[in-house]
Amino acid sequence: MGKFIVIGERIHCISPVIKQAMDTRDPAPILKRAKEQIDAGATYLDVNIGPAEKGGEDLMKWAVQTIQSEFDNIPLCLDTANKKAIEAGISVYNRSKGKPIVNSADAGDRIENIDLAAANDAIVLALCSKAGISSDNDERMGYCQEMLERGMGLGMEPEDLWFDPLFLVIKGMQDKQMEVLSFIKDLADMGLNSSGGLSNCSNMMPKNIRPIIDSTMVAMAMFCGLTSAIANPSDLRLMETIRSADVIKNNTLYADSYLEI
Amino acid sequence: MAFKQVPQKFTAKINPLTIGEGADAITLGGENVLPFYSFDAAIDNAPKIGIEISDNGYAANIPGIAEFYAGAETLPEIAKKAAAAPGVDFLAISMEGAHPDNGDRPVDECAKLVSDIAAVVNIPIVIEGSRNVEKDAKLFEKLAEALQGKNVLFLSAREENYKSIAAAAGLAYSQKIGAESAVDINLAKQLNVLISQMGVKTDSVAMNLGSAAAGYGFEYVATTIDRVKSAALAQNDNMLQMPIVTPVASETWTVKESIVSEEDFPEWGSSEERGINMEIATAAACLAAGSNAVILRHPESVATVSKLIAALI
Repeated sequence: MGKFIVIGERIHCISPVIKQAMDTRDPAPILKRAKEQIDAGATYLDVNIGPAEKGGEDLMKWAVQTIQSEFDNIPLCLDTANKKAIEAGISVYNRSKGKPIVNSADAGDRIENIDLAAANDAIVLALCSKAGISSDNDERMGYCQEMLERGMGLGMEPEDLWFDPLFLVIKGMQDKQMEVLSFIKDLADMGLNSSGGLSNCSNMMPKNIRPIIDSTMVAMAMFCGLTSAIANPSDLRLMETIRSADVIKNNTLYADSYLEI
Repeated sequence: MAFKQVPQKFTAKINPLTIGEGADAITLGGENVLPFYSFDAAIDNAPKIGIEISDNGYAANIPGIAEFYAGAETLPEIAKKAAAAPGVDFLAISMEGAHPDNGDRPVDECAKLVSDIAAVVNIPIVIEGSRNVEKDAKLFEKLAEALQGKNVLFLSAREENYKSIAAAAGLAYSQKIGAESAVDINLAKQLNVLISQMGVKTDSVAMNLGSAAAGYGFEYVATTIDRVKSAALAQNDNMLQMPIVTPVASETWTVKESIVSEEDFPEWGSSEERGINMEIATAAACLAAGSNAVILRHPESVATVSKLIAALI
């Protein structure tokens, strides 16, 4: 097994600084966040440009080229509801350090993003849901199978579909947490890759609590076989936990300085 | 159904490490496949063989070796003969005579010796230590200076002395560093981390993961090399992607099978043949496990292992 893949989530248009940088095509704030995340241990960087209905293609191209040219073609996860913007991003994407990730498809309205990934030899994040949250693991597995078949039918390798179990907020859905973990185990038993927005589980919790919950969740999810997460690499506790779990899982060889590399 | 070959090549690769200069320079590593899996992807740099002499000369107690070096009186003459042996890619000089308990040759005298050798030998040079960590720290600093521009590999930076060796040989004189650990995968990785944290580029570093003669705990050596290669290739661990250099002769020429006389063990046959066989068997096993270079002593072993490599790649 390879190392756990952290997709850094901090280049997101929901942040006012990033939003403004994207609007004015100012590279500095974006490159700063990119560097912080890379230095902290992110493997991929998520680039969320929002719905980007207008000018999304130009914006995604600019973002991809700006980030990749500065950071040795770091692999990126292209995150927007605008399909044309994702395609435009991929058209200028350098894949020497890893395939682009299409973020994201589901078994409902966004299922065609699987086709997009297949046509562009990309990885796709495949949310195991259709409309709203799946009611149980049978439903999740049904969507997973549907998307897997669709991708393979289009010539994708199964390892290029990263299934998202959908982490659920603990405050309000505490009784569903073990079910999500059990689904991750099911995916792992099938040899499938998985990823998802980890920090959703600690949503609405106090700031000082979130790293504790996030890192506990990631450790439990990694035990179940989670192979990646969209997360905040600048959260030291989280990254220490991931690195330690990678050592315990024998995903990476231990050295005394393992937390520093 | 027809067999469909799926090449097992990795996106990660072993760092290519060039030693020596000019037309005789050689490159260790660079492959992105398991050892000898040239059917999965081309292996541009076949494993290399070094021939070992020491600051005291050659192993005169082995008849075949003494015969090979016959007529060579001075160390440069010995080095020239060694370098010309069929199948040799580089010259390894063990500084055993610098060990405080084994002659304690002064640092300046050592520097003069290796400079004299470097003046007459064109193939790349690898310096092995005296096996005394304090002495090596001082010794390598001086030798790195004396051999400036020769792009030499200094093989024995250990946990106890890597700082001074990396600073002098790696940083000040731009030579290559060999991180030495004794069959300890975690320490092997840790040393690479520490050396790179000092500012030495990872592609200027080789690893000596330790060795043992076949039958003397060799399983540990084989599994260590194997685990390191799989971390480097399958797990893309850039702190383990350094090429592996394994001194074989220093282990195999000390074990009973290689040294007890034919008079004492007539049923075992010629002691020299036994010694050569141990050296060849151990070297072949190291190469199969993933060593990018082996260091041997007997010219016949060098020639045989060289043929083995040529036949497999």
